Amino acid sequence: MEYIVETKGLTKSYGGKQVVKNVDLKVPKECVYGFMGPNGAGKSTTLKMLLGLIRCTDGQAWIDGKEMNQKNRLEILRETGSLIESPSYYGHLTGRENLEIVRTLKKAPEKEVDQVLELVRMERQQDKKAREYSLGMKQRLGLAAALIGRPRLLILDEPTNGLDPAGIQEIRELICELPKRMGITVLVSSHLLSEMDQMADYVGIINHGQLIFQDKLEALHEHSKSKLLLRVMNRTAALKILEGRQIEGRVTEEGILIPGLSDDRAADLVSALAAGGAGLYRIEERQKSLEDIFLSLTGRRESL
Amino acid sequence: MLREWKTEWMKLRRRKVGLLLLAFLGFTFVWCAWILSDAGAEELMDGYRWIFSNLSIINTILLPALLSMLASRLCDMEIKGNTLKLICTMEKKGRLFDMKFLTGSLYLVLYIAAELMLLFICGRAYGFGEPMQLRHVLYFLIQNVTVSLVIYLLQMMLSFRFENQIIPLAAGLFGSFIGLFSWFFPDTSLFRWIFVWGHYSLLHFIGNNWDETTRISTFYDVEPKQAALCLVLVLLTGGYLAGRHLFVRKEI
Repeated sequence: MEYIVETKGLTKSYGGKQVVKNVDLKVPKECVYGFMGPNGAGKSTTLKMLLGLIRCTDGQAWIDGKEMNQKNRLEILRETGSLIESPSYYGHLTGRENLEIVRTLKKAPEKEVDQVLELVRMERQQDKKAREYSLGMKQRLGLAAALIGRPRLLILDEPTNGLDPAGIQEIRELICELPKRMGITVLVSSHLLSEMDQMADYVGIINHGQLIFQDKLEALHEHSKSKLLLRVMNRTAALKILEGRQIEGRVTEEGILIPGLSDDRAADLVSALAAGGAGLYRIEERQKSLEDIFLSLTGRRESL
Repeated sequence: MLREWKTEWMKLRRRKVGLLLLAFLGFTFVWCAWILSDAGAEELMDGYRWIFSNLSIINTILLPALLSMLASRLCDMEIKGNTLKLICTMEKKGRLFDMKFLTGSLYLVLYIAAELMLLFICGRAYGFGEPMQLRHVLYFLIQNVTVSLVIYLLQMMLSFRFENQIIPLAAGLFGSFIGLFSWFFPDTSLFRWIFVWGHYSLLHFIGNNWDETTRISTFYDVEPKQAALCLVLVLLTGGYLAGRHLFVRKEI
């Protein structure tokens, strides 16, 4: 598989403390790659290292097959667009003037300003000063700036932060469109799992600076093994029957949670519970949510 | 390089930098006109020496404040709008620093040139006895451009460092007071040498004698101190290299 971004042993330390540890990212071409992790996990630091905004303590990064260094950084980044943390803009200039600055620096043709304005649906607000924009508009302006120069790679750090639900939906749709419509690879970070579930083709999960998972989104979903919830009138009798069949049952507020069973075993258990006087009145299949998977991988609950 | 230079001017749209310079120039003009309105015939005979001498003091007071505002106008937009993380993916950080320095320097040189023009007009209007000497023009440029560039570098670094621009502006006002005080000390005083704002007085090129009985000042040419000029040039080169290095090294 061809990767547009590849890193090997990417490490960043501040005062002897490693905030990003040996990260080996592999971002396939023309997809949406979701870079997830709790707040403070090292997402922004990793992305900033990819853009050369901060120096890595150790490791290497390749973008589109070229190893990045201080000499060729700008040449490589000419085909990269980025939006890091909050949007960047000159408040005293209009949206269009802001984009003209980016266009001049990227040596892009003049018509591209109109094209990106249309793409982010900002044609009508282009002559308004950027400081008068709402946060959503500023974010869209940032995205438009990132799209100038027809980049092959777009690096977006939490692009939906602070947006209202309509704005989130709009940005999300736009991100999903880019690989298909323009052949752009989008590397997008977020701490919102639901967002990634709707956007990403591939995911990477970073926690405490370490990349703990990297694969297709489906592969992450495979981690979710279903469970069965038994709702019974007599929990003691039910637990006794489960114990006799060596099935581990966990009592919860809702009922007794047991691991997923094959259809045969499930049918057998239901018969046994009915015969044994457990008073089984409902059996439900419980799927692990993406959030549960994430939490089991990261082992932390505080920031989600 | 031309692209970066062009974008600097695009960024300066609606920043009203020209208006800022005109306001200071207008204030300087009013100050000079007020001084000249008190002038006697003897003083007007040697008008250029007299006005150059006064303008050096006026500039010592006004230029540090102007430079702090100028640096703030040019640099704070990058901090306020979080634009460094965008711009620095398209432009080398060192180049951005150079462009800010060059733009500010150009404004400064234009301002000093406008002051010289103002003096020339005053000379014509008040009928100064002697013509403006090239030597005075050259020394005036050296005195005001070199010292101001060092101060501008310092202000640039402060404006890039602090989001709250009150701090660099306060530094500018502090510089104005230090500069003014430095004129009350002799050339040999450490006070004049250790503060860069005091270097305007070190590079002065007109001396004066005050006769208490006749209450008349006579002005004469003084050679600016070469050691002081060397110090300013060293500070300018060192300040530029150190400022650029710190700016490039700073992580965004």
